[in-house]
Amino acid sequence: MDLIRKHCAHMGSVLALSSNPGHQNWPFSKDPLPSRWDAHPAHWDRPPRWERRDGRLPNPGSFHSLHRSCKDVFPHQIEGVKMIINKTLSSFFKVSHTLHLSAVSPSYYRFHVEHLQSDDYSKDKDAPALIGEMDSSGSLNAHALLHLTERVRARTVFQSQQSQFVTWQFETEYRGSDFTAAVTVANPDILRESVILVAHFLQSVSSGLVLGGELVYHRGRAEEGGILTLAGQYSRPNWVATLNAGKGGAHASYYHRANKQIQVGVEFEASTRTQETTTSFGYQMELPEANMVFRGMINSRCIIGGVLEKRLTPLPATLIMGAFVNHRGDKLQVGLGVNVG
Amino acid sequence: MGSVLAASSPSPPPPPSAAGSASPGVTMPPGFGMPPVPPAAPPTGSGAGKEQRAENLLPNPGAFDECHRKCKEVFPMQMEGVRLVVNKGLSNHFQVNHSLLLSTTGDSSYRFGATFVGSKQTGPAEFFPVMVGDMDNSGSLNSQIIHQISSRIRSKVAFQTQQQKFVNWQGDAEFRGEDFTAMVTFGNPDVLAGSGIIITHYLQSITPSLALGGELVYHRRPGEEGSVLSLVGRYTASDFIATLTLGSAGAHASYYHKANEQLQVGVEFEASSRMQDTSASFGYQLDVPKANLQFKGSVDSNWVVGATLEKKLLPLPLSLVLCAFLNHQKNKFQCGFGITIG
Repeated sequence: MDLIRKHCAHMGSVLALSSNPGHQNWPFSKDPLPSRWDAHPAHWDRPPRWERRDGRLPNPGSFHSLHRSCKDVFPHQIEGVKMIINKTLSSFFKVSHTLHLSAVSPSYYRFHVEHLQSDDYSKDKDAPALIGEMDSSGSLNAHALLHLTERVRARTVFQSQQSQFVTWQFETEYRGSDFTAAVTVANPDILRESVILVAHFLQSVSSGLVLGGELVYHRGRAEEGGILTLAGQYSRPNWVATLNAGKGGAHASYYHRANKQIQVGVEFEASTRTQETTTSFGYQMELPEANMVFRGMINSRCIIGGVLEKRLTPLPATLIMGAFVNHRGDKLQVGLGVNVG
Repeated sequence: MGSVLAASSPSPPPPPSAAGSASPGVTMPPGFGMPPVPPAAPPTGSGAGKEQRAENLLPNPGAFDECHRKCKEVFPMQMEGVRLVVNKGLSNHFQVNHSLLLSTTGDSSYRFGATFVGSKQTGPAEFFPVMVGDMDNSGSLNSQIIHQISSRIRSKVAFQTQQQKFVNWQGDAEFRGEDFTAMVTFGNPDVLAGSGIIITHYLQSITPSLALGGELVYHRRPGEEGSVLSLVGRYTASDFIATLTLGSAGAHASYYHKANEQLQVGVEFEASSRMQDTSASFGYQLDVPKANLQFKGSVDSNWVVGATLEKKLLPLPLSLVLCAFLNHQKNKFQCGFGITIG
């Protein structure tokens, strides 16, 4: 069970949301938040479902992105001072340096490099997308995305915490005309005879409705088990409602775009394992004339947070300021960040 | 308001000093000290001889507490958490400020402060009496009353409480002569317990640039009494000020240099015989008025590096302050930001 918990923490499934050890205490956990490697880069998803106009049912996208639009509304954890310098070396190559000075967790320097095509429909479809990240403590994240054919994509993820490998997984995804099927093999370990197999399936049932499911099979030396989760998503031009329900818990989210400037998200998570539920409300306010984006959220755990992002034109820099208050524990977390480039 | 001295800006509370402790002088934090008094104009006696005029050109050296002030103002002030300050001027005489501090390490607090300025005008921008007070959400009170009793004598009374207990009560009188300043302060006088502190300051202009003086602190508690003497020397030139304080309690030397309109630099050295340690700090202040920006940075011999950035967000009457301090020796990091409205 420990194995599946650790793996699912990086998978983003229903189990993951409540099984991440830092999640209970979010955003006040002392561990640095792991990068969301379960989420594909944004450019991977086809244009939003409601924009398909040729009469056929659109492809529903990947299983991991079901709750993405709601999650993007919420502010990200921010703590201490972070400086990110992004540099584009060519149309394929991007490099970024991150320096994080923190009061609660150890400070680090991170080097991130991306080799990927900048546009979705380029001529060279066979070029893989490679993303690598190295920490000052030696932790590595490596991510490779391959288009095997027009409909089949393969993805490999390796993650290590200093010298120990934490995640190694291989995923294959088939995108049909109106369905998506994916199979993931996570942390296969021949010596320990353990493996986690995940199968995803999403089918567009009507122009707004997508139904699907996820089957997780985990096997260790002493135990094995399977968990089935059903998922459904209904989307309209202005709002999206998603529900994941299974034996491990439930996750419901509602995203609403009120107007050009305001987006609102409501999320409900319940876990049978930790016997806890959480409700969160978040909103995002964009003021393009002021080059400003503000995200705020309030939680049933009595956590209130807000993050302000402001582009400092004419400099190619963005200033990020945020604070999170946990009223129950009476704790405050303040963060400042500068993104250059 | 624009017509009130520095006391109207929200400032950190004066450090509480227990009654009777042998501190070499009650230090006034910036903002609570006396306003700078313009040097006394030389008397325009008709037919004054050349020698007499040269003698009369010695300026008043200013207050004793201001000696190291210019250098200290260059250094950034450490701040953590989130601070919101709202200043509101209710009339020409009355100003009110609210400050809300959400702290990551200590307790969050709300503070309400009020400033009253009277109508007796003594200088171009000085009005008396000045009454400043602020109250904490836990009931701690800081208050000051400053009044110009005569053209040369100014007096101040200050009270400070920690919740309901009085920790600081003092009164002082300052006399500004032609080329000297003398001040007497009575700190925490307690007739019943027979304890108190008496501080006398004296500062004399020797030449137009050089000022020498001294401070004598006499403290008394039932069972013990003692005194501390320190000497002060200050040399002022057109673009730098060098100050030295020497006494049995330690030494404090500071050097302030104004490089140009935008850059000011300060170096400070402190040695304390009581704590048996010394520290040296280097600080600089960079003003960019075109960008409404002020940046202060400092490096310390205690391996503390810190910086503060202050920016006025025109056209709104908002001011944003970002601050970060890093103690390399203890590997501790602190950051904070604040917004001042009005």
